[in-house]
Amino acid sequence: MMTVKNKWVPYLFLLPAFAGLLLFKLYPIISALLQSMHTLEFLTQLVRFVGFENYVSLFNDPVFWNSLKVTLWFNLWINPFQITLAFGLALLLNTGIKQITFFRGINFIPVAVSVPTAAILWKIMLSPEQGVVNSILVALGMSPQPFLESSSQALASIVAIASWKGVGYWALFLLAGLQEVSPSLYEASSMDGASKWQQFKSVTYPMMKRPLTFVVVSVTVANMLLFAPMYILTKGGPNQSTNVLLLESYNSAFLYSDMGRATAIVVIMLVITAIIVAIEFRILRAKH
Amino acid sequence: MKKRRFRWELYLIHIIIALIVLLPLAFALISSFRPLDEIFKFMSPVTWKTFIPVELTLEAYMSLFTERGFGRIIFNTFYVAFSNVIFGLLIGSMAAFAFATFRFAGKNILFLLVLVTFMIPPEVVAIPLYSLVDSLGWVDTYYGLIVPSIANGLVIFLYRQFFLDLPNALIESARMDGASWFRIYWSIIMPLSKPVTVSAALLIFIQQWESFMWPLIVTRSKEYRVIQVVLSDFTTEYATYWNEMFAAAIISVIIPVVILLPLQKFFVQGISSTGGKE
Repeated sequence: MMTVKNKWVPYLFLLPAFAGLLLFKLYPIISALLQSMHTLEFLTQLVRFVGFENYVSLFNDPVFWNSLKVTLWFNLWINPFQITLAFGLALLLNTGIKQITFFRGINFIPVAVSVPTAAILWKIMLSPEQGVVNSILVALGMSPQPFLESSSQALASIVAIASWKGVGYWALFLLAGLQEVSPSLYEASSMDGASKWQQFKSVTYPMMKRPLTFVVVSVTVANMLLFAPMYILTKGGPNQSTNVLLLESYNSAFLYSDMGRATAIVVIMLVITAIIVAIEFRILRAKH
Repeated sequence: MKKRRFRWELYLIHIIIALIVLLPLAFALISSFRPLDEIFKFMSPVTWKTFIPVELTLEAYMSLFTERGFGRIIFNTFYVAFSNVIFGLLIGSMAAFAFATFRFAGKNILFLLVLVTFMIPPEVVAIPLYSLVDSLGWVDTYYGLIVPSIANGLVIFLYRQFFLDLPNALIESARMDGASWFRIYWSIIMPLSKPVTVSAALLIFIQQWESFMWPLIVTRSKEYRVIQVVLSDFTTEYATYWNEMFAAAIISVIIPVVILLPLQKFFVQGISSTGGKE
C-alpha cells in the first residue's frame, strides 16, 4: 500500500489501541520501578519513599538469592533442552513420509493444552503413592520415585512437564522456517557431494537463523517467567527447590502484602531477562 | 529426483513421539469416565484394568456442572475470551490501518512501541498492573479480567503485515469516490482481511483461554473464576477427586482442540508470520 500524509486521522485510528498499550502494558513497567522504591507503613497505612531500600534488603536476603539461583539453574537446563528437542521435532516433521500431516496434527495438540492443565494432569500421574507413572515403574521392576515431592527431582519434573507442553509449539515456528528453505539448495549441495551433516551446517542452519533466533529468545522469556507449574505443583517447595523469582514476587505481593519487595523482584527479573536476551541476540548474530 | 523408500525408522520415531504426546491425554480422557473408587482401586499394581475402564460413567462431568458450578466457569471463560477477540480485533486492526495507510509524525516511534509491548510478556506486568486495576476498582469484576488485555501489539503487527501487501488502487479509487477513511477501513479493507482476522482471532482466543496468572491475581470470588484458575484451585480444594480433575482438564483441552484443529492452517500462518520477521 502507498502511504498518504495526513495530520489528524491516523491518530484517531491509533487512539484506542495506544490508550490500552500505554496504560496496561507500558505504565505498569514504569509503575514497577516507582513501586519498588516505596514501602507501605503498617501503622499509618501510608506509602513512603525509601529509595533503594527494597533492593538492598533483597540483596541481603538468602531467600532471594536462592530464588535467583533456582531461576537461573532452571533456565540453564530447560532452554537448551526445549530448543534442541523442538529443532529435532521440526526436522522430523519436515520429512517427506506419507502420513506426515497426521503426525503434524498430533504434535499440534499440546498447543491446545494450557500450562495449568498440563500441570494438573501430570500432578496426578506423578503422584508418588498412587500415580500411574510409579505403578508402571514398579511393574517394570524399578523403584518408585518421589518426583515432585523431592527437592532433588521437583525441578527436573517441572522441566519435563513444561517441555511436554512446550516443544510442539516451538517446533511449529521452526517447521515454518524449514519449509521456506528451497529444495534446490539441498539438491545443489548433494550434487557437490555434501554429507547430511555438512548440508545441515551449510544449508539448513544458516537459512534457519531467523526463526531460530526468534524461538531462542521466546523460549528464554517464557521460561524465565514461568509461573503456573510452580504455583500449582509445588508452591516453590520442597525446601524452596522450585521457588523461582516470579513465584517469590507473587508471594511477596499477595501473601505478605509487600508490593515494594514484589515489584523490586519484577524489576530485577526484567533486567536479567533483558541481559540474557541481548547476549543471545549477540551470539546468534555473530556466528556467521 | 528423490527416491521414496519406506523409512521404518522414521515411522518408529514418529510413533514414539505421538505416544508420548497422546498417552497422558488418553489416560486422562479414559479416567474421566470412571467412577472415583475405580481409579484408585486399579492404580497399583498395574493391570489391564489400570488403563481400560471396567465401568463407564458420566459421574465426574455431572458433578462438575452440578456441584462445582462449571456452567458459570465456562461462561466466564468464553465471555472474557470473546470480548477480548472482538475488541482486540477492532482496535488492533484500526491501529494497523493507520500504520499501513498514513505517513504521520512519530510513526516510527509509535510502531517501535508496538513491537516493544508485544515482546513484554503479560506475566511481567501482572503484579505491578494489579495496583492500577485495584485503584480503578476493577478487582473481581469482568472489567478487570477483560480490559487490560484488549490492546495487543501482536494483533497490530499481524494486521499491518497483511495491509501492507494490499494493492494501492483499492484506496485510491475509494478516495476518488469520496469515501471517508473510516468507510475505507470498515467496508473495503476489513472485508478483504478475513484470513488475517481468523489468525488473529485464534491467537487471542487461545491466549485468553490459557491465561492463568492475571485471572488468578485479579479475581477473588468464585463468581468470576475462569477455567485455568479453577483447575489450579481444584488441586488444593478437591485434590482427591481425581476423576473430576481429569474431567475438568479434558474440558479445558477439548474446547481449544475443537476450535483449532479445523483452523490449524490459520493459526500456524499467524504464528509463523510473527516468528519469521521478528
